[in-house]
Amino acid sequence: MKIKTTAAALAASFGVALFGALPTAALAARDYLVTAARPNLVFVVDAKERKVVKTHTIPNTSMGNSPITLVHSRDGKTAYVIHNRWETVSGIDLDSGKEVFRAELSGGDIRGKSPFPMDLSPDGKELAVYVNPTQLLPGEYKVMDPYIAIYRTDAGTDAEPVRKLKVPRRVSTLAWSAKGDTLYAFSWDMLKLDPQTGAVKGQHPWRSWKNGEQGEPDTLAIWPQWEQTNVFATPYYVAYANKPEGDPAALRAGIWTLDLEKDTVHFKEFENAGVVLFSSVVNPVRRDETYTVYTQLTKVNTKTGKMDRVDLDHTYYNVNVSSDGKELYIGGTQGDIAVYDSATLKRIGNIRTPGGGDQVLTSLRIFQR
Amino acid sequence: MNRLKPLNRKAHQIEAAPNDEAVDKVVAMTAAVAGCATTFDPGWELDPFLGVAGLCQPMEADLYGCSDPCWWPAQVPDTLHNYPDWNTGKDDAARDWKALQSVFPK
Repeated sequence: MKIKTTAAALAASFGVALFGALPTAALAARDYLVTAARPNLVFVVDAKERKVVKTHTIPNTSMGNSPITLVHSRDGKTAYVIHNRWETVSGIDLDSGKEVFRAELSGGDIRGKSPFPMDLSPDGKELAVYVNPTQLLPGEYKVMDPYIAIYRTDAGTDAEPVRKLKVPRRVSTLAWSAKGDTLYAFSWDMLKLDPQTGAVKGQHPWRSWKNGEQGEPDTLAIWPQWEQTNVFATPYYVAYANKPEGDPAALRAGIWTLDLEKDTVHFKEFENAGVVLFSSVVNPVRRDETYTVYTQLTKVNTKTGKMDRVDLDHTYYNVNVSSDGKELYIGGTQGDIAVYDSATLKRIGNIRTPGGGDQVLTSLRIFQR
Repeated sequence: MNRLKPLNRKAHQIEAAPNDEAVDKVVAMTAAVAGCATTFDPGWELDPFLGVAGLCQPMEADLYGCSDPCWWPAQVPDTLHNYPDWNTGKDDAARDWKALQSVFPK
């Protein structure tokens, strides 16, 4: 088999061979993974079959910088992805591969980039994209205020925002509440925005979180993977000023969750920090269980703090769970998705990306059809 | 300011600016979460705990995860702004790393 395969050839081979629409009502609902890979691919995997069933190309993009955040519609028909060195958002029809939505974030002397935060309203009608604009002056870069661009998803391939919301800097996550009446923006704190006006309705403290002798907590939250639970989850680290220098308990690790239906937060420290933790997901069946990946896979019970951990064969960035809660899909970084048993944490499968391209920083999402 | 010595072009522009308005035009780059200017955390040589056990394994797993968002621009070429085609056509870092070249400031 040829190792070097062009994206166009891949699209042709997978697309033609498996061009039928993904199953809908005729068969029992199955789990499908949707994610992206270098250089410009969006692909769909039949999770139980461990098989790539659709491979689509993102048109007119940078081939040397990978697609990042991917958000899919609840019906699994369309995937929206940030690409083109973070300056474009495209919506790809997952059956036909057609680009049905495209928004350019840059234009004229303004360079707009979206550093990860993006989410779709629960009804699938609006897409929120966080944009960092910079004006490119002759000898200067002029920093402009960031904003959230709200697009209608039926705006086609020349989409313009229907409104722009003011928002603070350093947003790493946008998450629409389950009812659609709040747009959460994770910045210095977890802000609760009115998705119509951008007005700050409230917040859950993060940087401003005061808890005894603890310092400011630290996290990296750029992987959306709450589609089955409506629970945002991310690992965090926090230092304690009342512990002596060198005390392992001076830096602790935990998981914090935000229920996007109930608007409640929960923090659970579970160990002295000593292992890098990147992204977390909540089990849709056993909802006290979270899984976190990096070079290890860590299972944490967020009620009791009980923890299990295994080493992975390489570093991964993201993780998702089958709808029955039994399997874990672990992706990002390189060109494979590892499959693990959620109860035993044993490796039970592996899925290669089309062409073997790295997934890098993209999102790994799951839907049922 | 007496104890500060300008070391680069921007800093010289600030010192030489005739008035506040001119100073305002001497601006730094945008400070995104990952914006080629303000990532100070260790990670390429040392992990967050100042050891090496927490570094990505293998390094190729994280190579494009660093070049794409310009995470450590001193260690890894930045494909977001300055070297957009550094790894074009080399989509599997573990397989293609030998074909990657060094870059030099233009």
